[in-house]
Amino acid sequence: MEFLIVSTMNGVIYGMLLFMVSAGLTLIFGMMGVLNFAHASFYMLGAYFAYTLSGLFNFWVGLIVAPLLVGLIGVLVERYMLRRIHRFGHAHELLLTFGLAFIFEELVKLFYGNYPVNYRMPDSLNFAAFNVFGADYPFYRIFIGLIAVAMFALLLILLTRTRIGLVVRGAERLPQMAQALGHNVPLVFMGVFGTGAALAGLGGAVAGAFFPTNPNMALELGVIVFVVVVVGGLGSLAGSLIASVLIGVFSSFAVGLHWTLAGALSWVGLGGWAEGVGGLLTLPLSSISGTVPFLLMLIVLLVRPAGLMGSKN
Amino acid sequence: MRHALSALAIATGLIAPAIHAEPLKVAIIESLSGSQTSTGRMYSSAARYVLEQMNEQGGYNGEPIQIKDYDNGGNTSGAASQFRQAVADGAHVIIQGSSSAVAGQITEDVRKHNIRNKGNEIVYLNMGGEALELRGDKCHFHAFHLTTTAPMRVGPLVKVMAQEGDLGDRVYSINQAYSWGQDMEQAIKSYADTYDYEVVETVLHEVNRIQDFAPFVAQIQAAKPSSVITGNWSNDLLLLMKAVGDSGLDVTFGTTFLDQVGNVANAGKMALGHYVAHPGNAELNKDPQDAEDYKAFSGHYPVYVEPGTINGIRLFTEALRANDFKGGDIDVNRIALAMEQARLETDIGPVSIRREDHQAIMPVVVSRVEQGVKYPADGTDMGFKPIQVVSPEDAIYPVQESCRMRRPD
Amino acid sequence: MRYRFLLLALLVVALVVVPPFLGLGWQYTLVNALIAALFAAAFNLLMGQGGMLSFGHAAYYGLGAFGVLHVMQLIEYGDSRFPTVLLPLVGGLIGLVSGLLAGFFAARRSGVYFALVTLALAQLLYSLAPHWSGMFGGEAGLSSMRMPSLGLDFGSNLQVYYLTLAWTLVCISLLYAYTLTPFGRLTQALRDNEQRVRFMGYNAHATKVLVFGISAMFAGIAGGLTAIANETANYQIFNSHVSAQVVLHTFIGGSALFFGPIIGAAVITVFTFVVSGVTHSWMLYLGALFVLVMLFAPNGIGGVIQAHVQRRDSLPWRRLVAPYAVATGALVLVALGTVFIVQSLEIVFSEQYRAAVARTGQYADYSLFGMKWALFSPLTWLTPLLPLVAGLLLLRRTAARIRELWAGGGDPSACPPKVPGATLRSRA
Repeated sequence: MEFLIVSTMNGVIYGMLLFMVSAGLTLIFGMMGVLNFAHASFYMLGAYFAYTLSGLFNFWVGLIVAPLLVGLIGVLVERYMLRRIHRFGHAHELLLTFGLAFIFEELVKLFYGNYPVNYRMPDSLNFAAFNVFGADYPFYRIFIGLIAVAMFALLLILLTRTRIGLVVRGAERLPQMAQALGHNVPLVFMGVFGTGAALAGLGGAVAGAFFPTNPNMALELGVIVFVVVVVGGLGSLAGSLIASVLIGVFSSFAVGLHWTLAGALSWVGLGGWAEGVGGLLTLPLSSISGTVPFLLMLIVLLVRPAGLMGSKN
Repeated sequence: MRHALSALAIATGLIAPAIHAEPLKVAIIESLSGSQTSTGRMYSSAARYVLEQMNEQGGYNGEPIQIKDYDNGGNTSGAASQFRQAVADGAHVIIQGSSSAVAGQITEDVRKHNIRNKGNEIVYLNMGGEALELRGDKCHFHAFHLTTTAPMRVGPLVKVMAQEGDLGDRVYSINQAYSWGQDMEQAIKSYADTYDYEVVETVLHEVNRIQDFAPFVAQIQAAKPSSVITGNWSNDLLLLMKAVGDSGLDVTFGTTFLDQVGNVANAGKMALGHYVAHPGNAELNKDPQDAEDYKAFSGHYPVYVEPGTINGIRLFTEALRANDFKGGDIDVNRIALAMEQARLETDIGPVSIRREDHQAIMPVVVSRVEQGVKYPADGTDMGFKPIQVVSPEDAIYPVQESCRMRRPD
Repeated sequence: MRYRFLLLALLVVALVVVPPFLGLGWQYTLVNALIAALFAAAFNLLMGQGGMLSFGHAAYYGLGAFGVLHVMQLIEYGDSRFPTVLLPLVGGLIGLVSGLLAGFFAARRSGVYFALVTLALAQLLYSLAPHWSGMFGGEAGLSSMRMPSLGLDFGSNLQVYYLTLAWTLVCISLLYAYTLTPFGRLTQALRDNEQRVRFMGYNAHATKVLVFGISAMFAGIAGGLTAIANETANYQIFNSHVSAQVVLHTFIGGSALFFGPIIGAAVITVFTFVVSGVTHSWMLYLGALFVLVMLFAPNGIGGVIQAHVQRRDSLPWRRLVAPYAVATGALVLVALGTVFIVQSLEIVFSEQYRAAVARTGQYADYSLFGMKWALFSPLTWLTPLLPLVAGLLLLRRTAARIRELWAGGGDPSACPPKVPGATLRSRA
């Protein structure tokens, strides 16, 4: 029971972090059709900018300004790079962002070095929120969750309840029509890309203080975020939320599950044979839990490419 | 281009042009780009430090030792490629440290090269590959392992932790799911009877892929251990310790890589009181000038892999001094034989080579994170306080049966 | 056409004659360049000919390598008499089988989804491989030794080089021949208009699977050649970096051309070898080169060359000479300025320099290109900025001029592209 409750809590919070980063990615894909390979780099840049700013001013300045800076970079990338090659198709846009991911990682290494930097939460946030079954539950985890929820709510309201949201959705559905109605569609795209980048930057600024900020953080999170967006359905915000939490909770539980294929086979009387074969059959799930998200992604892509919540493409 | 490169090297003073005798050529094949860069540069600078000291004292064989860095990019294919380049440049000795996988590649490359090029052999000095396999199945005459292994770290670690009353009788083993983690787990289990503890649970998890260690903390908490022993490094260690620290669990960590740069700063106060078993600690230097010299050379006091590397390369220079080629050709086999006989008296005890598998027999230091140490880490007020030096005889483990070394006739 | 044949013949002769005079490091780099070229050509069969972007080609490359190593071990321990020279066939066979299998699933999707399936498959393999030590030898991987075959002992690098050269030439010729066959034409038709291919009565899915399989087969041969050259492989061969590398090679070279990726792979492998010995920031330069190519020459370097070859009769060459010379000069200026700045940053932000600042309290001069530079002197920063800005301005002006000449001098029937070589279809 203990394990169940604590693991669920941990999983949900981690899922919320995944959501913060994947929201921007799915937003950009949904609106512009661009699969942004550099998205996790925006997450990393957010953490590094926040680190620098928190050194110069304080943590809160970093938390607010870093995402804005990352958003600005996103705007520049859209305006001066993506727009330029838009006419060559999505594959080219994807490849460009792929190259940018390389450059961002190398630039971070150039300026900040290869070691993790000492970016930490302020002492005012560093306390135990409550005690579960004899262990403290850090408040900062809840803080991460709260920010993610606030972000989701804000995005939802912005997209469904405001005029801006209306224009954005219009520009996504029928760009020519929106253009004809006098809306500046390129500006909308620029805004969406910038916002998406800023959201990832916010994720980095928040999470970087809890998880170490290092030059590999983009690579580490990058692939998982892809899995989230695919499973949730490319372009669906709600889908991303559900998929994030699902994968978060799964990775949290997988740790305690020592299931093996051999164990499963013993149900049909093949346990002894499987133990003898060894290799993959006797590996506990806990030590290969990193594999499962990819399996999930593969299954979703093959069975239902629209994902959990996406519309058919 | 090779000429341009060597011209560049000459211009920057790395390599002096050969005039008379055969100069000793040392190739440092390290991870100077890619994700393990920080560690790679430490091996390189520590090795260079010792060799350049020797050069200041007149070099070797009447010539300055030629030292050259090769960037393996942190992967085996890069290492294979740079190994060929080093051979082309006429290297006698190859030094490498970061990553057991790269060590595996290089030691095999050296073995095959030596089979095919009798009379032009190469010696490989493994400064950091700790996988037991390198001294077992893959052992060969021209490879020397100047670093510790899992049993050499775990034994001293649990010994000192038990003496200090921080081990308790319930040990939790959490390690990375690859050969190093498995070696660690094996070692942790093997010392259970000697130091009277029970291994309450063992976990092997994915390597450097987990972002959130909170689920593992829930597991640890449920097992109610008194201490956690882990061979984790880099993010896997930092994240694990931070997650445990956040939960306020009262366990002591016994680690092998807590002294990696950035860890103490990142973990903050929660690093206090945890242990690390490592091959050296600058605070034990009898002459403080040593550390100052190193700082003047590299920009920081010797930390993490550097004290061990400095000792290892010093042992190698002992072996060099035992052979005088009188300005003639250098015979690598004789240097290798001298390595087996070499002995270095360090401030923490003697370092020598075990003939059977070429594993270094060396003292291991167990330190604890405390405030008010001589060399604080990462610009904090904390650092590694040496608690005890475990003697080479106590730290060493039996030769693995899988090592069948063929010696030159 | 005749020129091209002559050029190719010259290249082949050079590849055969020159290596014995090169050092070991260069020989090995050429081996790698050949393998990278074959890998890129195999990848481009799928991407350039078939229009399918794979982000997981490392999987088939790696499986080929491991397959060959297993057979090499069998030979080494005397259980097999398989000739060493034919080993790459094993890699090809394994590549083909695994490619057909993966292709069967991947080809059910198209565009971005296809790319994601290939990515997921490769990542799956990458995360499983280190745990499956019987097959992939744990994180240390498999190791073997080349055994003598056909009177050759394959002990020297030169022999390995010629083996690789022979296999690469044969395979690239086969790949080229493929594009001329009716099936090759069908592959291209699939890329340009899948619907039409289907209406013509072809089974589009089966065709795609077959193309995938053939591409993976040649990738497997390339992997097998690496296994022979390195005599080891570990699970890192499945790393997404390997998949990324072939994508980079292909697009910098230009995927619309058969020889584009081959040139790209060879040039970049050699470039990497040269540059990685001089600077730690070579990945940054490579990434920047890739992004620049994507932005300004979407058809890659090969595309630029092709555009010139196609319009060789209509371009005002004489009037282009001056602007081209200026543009080249401007590019060199920009490159010099950039390299100066990046290398300065590399030094100034390095741990050693920062530690020295912390210790002495002052910003010491640093040396670069054999000169001393004061960090805060305007001269230090004007030195790179001046050529950089001048180069950029110059480039802007000459580019306009070149575009004008391209637009004006041609025959009116050929629609001139805005940027040389920028005529890629959308391939989403």
